[in-house]
Amino acid sequence: MSSVTAQNDHAAVPADPGHTHGPTDMEYFRIFWVLFAITALEVSTYWWEDWFGDIGHKVAIPLLFIMMAIKFFLVAGYFMHLKFDAKLLSRTFYGAFAFSLILYLAALTSMNFWSDHGNAWFNNPTPSPPTTVLEAETAGG
Amino acid sequence: MTNAAAPQIEDIASEVEFPDDEHLTATGISNEKLGMWVYLASDILLFGGMISTYMIYRNRPGNIPGLAGNTHRISEYFDIPFTSMTSFILLMSSLTMVLSVNAIIRHDYARLRLWLSTTALLGALFLGGQAYEFQSFVSKDNMGFTANVGASAFYALTGLHGVHVAIGVIMLLVLLALSFGRTIKPEAVEVVGLYWHFVDIVWVVIFTIVYLIP
Repeated sequence: MSSVTAQNDHAAVPADPGHTHGPTDMEYFRIFWVLFAITALEVSTYWWEDWFGDIGHKVAIPLLFIMMAIKFFLVAGYFMHLKFDAKLLSRTFYGAFAFSLILYLAALTSMNFWSDHGNAWFNNPTPSPPTTVLEAETAGG
Repeated sequence: MTNAAAPQIEDIASEVEFPDDEHLTATGISNEKLGMWVYLASDILLFGGMISTYMIYRNRPGNIPGLAGNTHRISEYFDIPFTSMTSFILLMSSLTMVLSVNAIIRHDYARLRLWLSTTALLGALFLGGQAYEFQSFVSKDNMGFTANVGASAFYALTGLHGVHVAIGVIMLLVLLALSFGRTIKPEAVEVVGLYWHFVDIVWVVIFTIVYLIP
């Protein structure tokens, strides 16, 4: 039977009481200018070390992560409509993001990203060869 | 079993005006849209792996035993003002993409075509900038894909992102062509828009982690 009643299928559709239609063109422009300003601030950090010295460099790195997160959530929330859409979509996307973050932080840790213990040859500059061991072996032999 | 008194599924579907209006599925979300979100969620994992690989190899040029290569870091060749410009271009394309979605909701086909073609053009400009950047790296000190592990990780990551942008540009051009026949569904524009914004989000992360953090 090819004909399916809409009534039967429609009964399965849950209403989305939190759903509202998205921002207007003007609101999108406002969000864009916020993103533009944050990006400009991000780019300026490239020169902070020259302008403010070592303190500029130290402040820039955590600030860059914060600005990246703000931009991420502004684009996902407003431009991708997650703020106005079904919660299922937010859970799918942010859930995958959180899972990815945990997974790769664990992977980076296991690869000694935060230190070089166990992977001396990954250092830069190249570690010097273990000459002391060779000398001791020579003296002993 | 057919119920003659009940409205047919096609009648209800034809009344759906806004891309986010409820759909005749168990979740209330269309299969196309949910499919795109699931794909984007899986793509996060792909890019996460590529970004992690770059982070591991970025400062380890040419000194892994058996893998001797160029002793320079790829980051030494970055031109931040130029890459910032291409980042602004991609950011602008996200704005024009959402304006396309709003235009199709209003059935304003002239504006839809304007914003879709602008988005595609900005995407193409971004790709041109990336090609120029890669070419400049290779011309300086022959820093190509196989120069060292850091360079390989960089080209694999940014190249993969570039491929995503190129696919996005193709999808936008297909939408543009469809818009002339007025057979285009609002949801098609929204789903392509989701993909496009995701590409922008990934660049937000790449631009910060790869280019700006020393």
